[in-house]
Amino acid sequence: MALKGTEGSAATESRKIELRNVSKTYGTEEESVQALSDVSITVETGEFYCVVGESGCGKTTLLRTIAGLEEPSNGSVLIDGEEVTEPGLDRGMVFQEYALFPWRTVRENIRFGLERPACDCPDCAARVRELIDLVELGGFEEKYPNELSGGMKQRVGIARSLAVDPEILLMDEPFGSVDARTRDRLHSELLDIWEKTGQTVVFVTHDIDEAVTLADRVMVMESDTGAVQSTVSVGLDRPRDRTDHGFVGYVARIRDEVASPANIS
Amino acid sequence: MSLNTDTARLTRWIRFERGLRRYLRGLGGLGLFLAVWWVGAIMTQPSYLVPSPLDSARAFLGLFATSTAVVVPLLGSELVLPTGPAHLLETLFHYVPGLLLGAVSGISLGLAMGWNGTLDDWLRPLVRILRPIPPLAWIVFAIVWFGIHHAGAAFIVFIGAFWINFYGAYGGVENTPGELTDAASTLGVERDLSMLKLVALPSAAPQVLTAFRTSIGRSWMIVVGAELFGAPGVGYEIINASNNLAMATSVAYMFLISLAFLCMDVAFRLTERRVLSWH
Repeated sequence: MALKGTEGSAATESRKIELRNVSKTYGTEEESVQALSDVSITVETGEFYCVVGESGCGKTTLLRTIAGLEEPSNGSVLIDGEEVTEPGLDRGMVFQEYALFPWRTVRENIRFGLERPACDCPDCAARVRELIDLVELGGFEEKYPNELSGGMKQRVGIARSLAVDPEILLMDEPFGSVDARTRDRLHSELLDIWEKTGQTVVFVTHDIDEAVTLADRVMVMESDTGAVQSTVSVGLDRPRDRTDHGFVGYVARIRDEVASPANIS
Repeated sequence: MSLNTDTARLTRWIRFERGLRRYLRGLGGLGLFLAVWWVGAIMTQPSYLVPSPLDSARAFLGLFATSTAVVVPLLGSELVLPTGPAHLLETLFHYVPGLLLGAVSGISLGLAMGWNGTLDDWLRPLVRILRPIPPLAWIVFAIVWFGIHHAGAAFIVFIGAFWINFYGAYGGVENTPGELTDAASTLGVERDLSMLKLVALPSAAPQVLTAFRTSIGRSWMIVVGAELFGAPGVGYEIINASNNLAMATSVAYMFLISLAFLCMDVAFRLTERRVLSWH
């Protein structure tokens, strides 16, 4: 593949995800909705990358395109320099409404990705036990999703996507339907997991506080056009304190970006 | 702790009392029906128009007092059973194969069409045209193709069971939530067939089973209809008895059908609860 510019190989190696001029249009020619327009971003290996923007601004489409669940109308998505054409085990996805298989118990849901012949794990049972401990669901292994709270369901969702050990974790407003206290706990659990596994995370949210709590970088999407408005690097040590002066400053700055689209002149 | 056990005891008592009250109300409804039936039977002349509950009960017992020989189809051997169960068995000889074959083929086609868009495009108009034809309308073909015996009656039941199960499977697969297939494909499910097996089929299971349960009941209606045309079994006995103005015997067979259906329905509901414990 051809690389533009003069960047060294070290810089290209650290590019885990690269979107090149990705656009996505839904609908017919007469009546179309522009979900993504000319999005070019790079996510580094091991980075925690958040995408914020108003509801319906194309954040989910962006994530689904990286997952390979949607095909871009224009442009391309590259993972480790290879173009994405379909979903793969290298990209795990966590869904807003959990998307757990209701007929499978907690254990069976987490096992799902390990049951494919494509995935060879020497000791699946041990792996599942490990994941159940990781997301602190011990004692709930044999419960069905409809017997769990929202926070627990999402822990199962996270464990299920981690089971196949993906290099990239794509998270679509995963804690949107979880109460505030549970969300705080899940945030610190997620950061622990991320630090342990060294995965690259792309995390979509409309909650700016959440983005600043988690991210290395926050990308703000424009609400109507689905274009990248700006990207903010969050230079705060973790764990981050929401009452901290610096934290509040970042939140205010990103909120300004979301509220005032740059393209209005 | 004693407070806890007290509350538990109280809730258990409240639940028991509520259950008891429902039970008694149900009994009351039955009693009232019996009374109305009885009064109606006494007041109606000639008396055979409405057989009394007592005469019907006597006729019901009578179904077990005499015995009848039943020929087992395919095997050709004879079984001697009490008259009521004997005729019920005759009905089952075409009811069961018709229901099972109809369910298996209906579910298969429903799954295939629900999952495969091309097949759906090909067959949808045909389904639209054939579906509204009431199963009993096919009786003419049942008679000319199979004769009005077990095979003919089984054919009619087959058609009825086929459509109900077809729509259960078709709708069930079509309603598979997109997010579940998305989740599965991010977890490595690639081929269409494994997606059907791992996601669409279990997701459709509640609808498939509900349809099958419906078809158990509907097939009883259809089988009696087919037997009124002459296939052997309880339906035939209903019309046979009424031809002799033995209306109490007709009522007795009606209750025998009700009893058989209730047993099957309860048995199926118990299985369903076990299979769909997650639901």
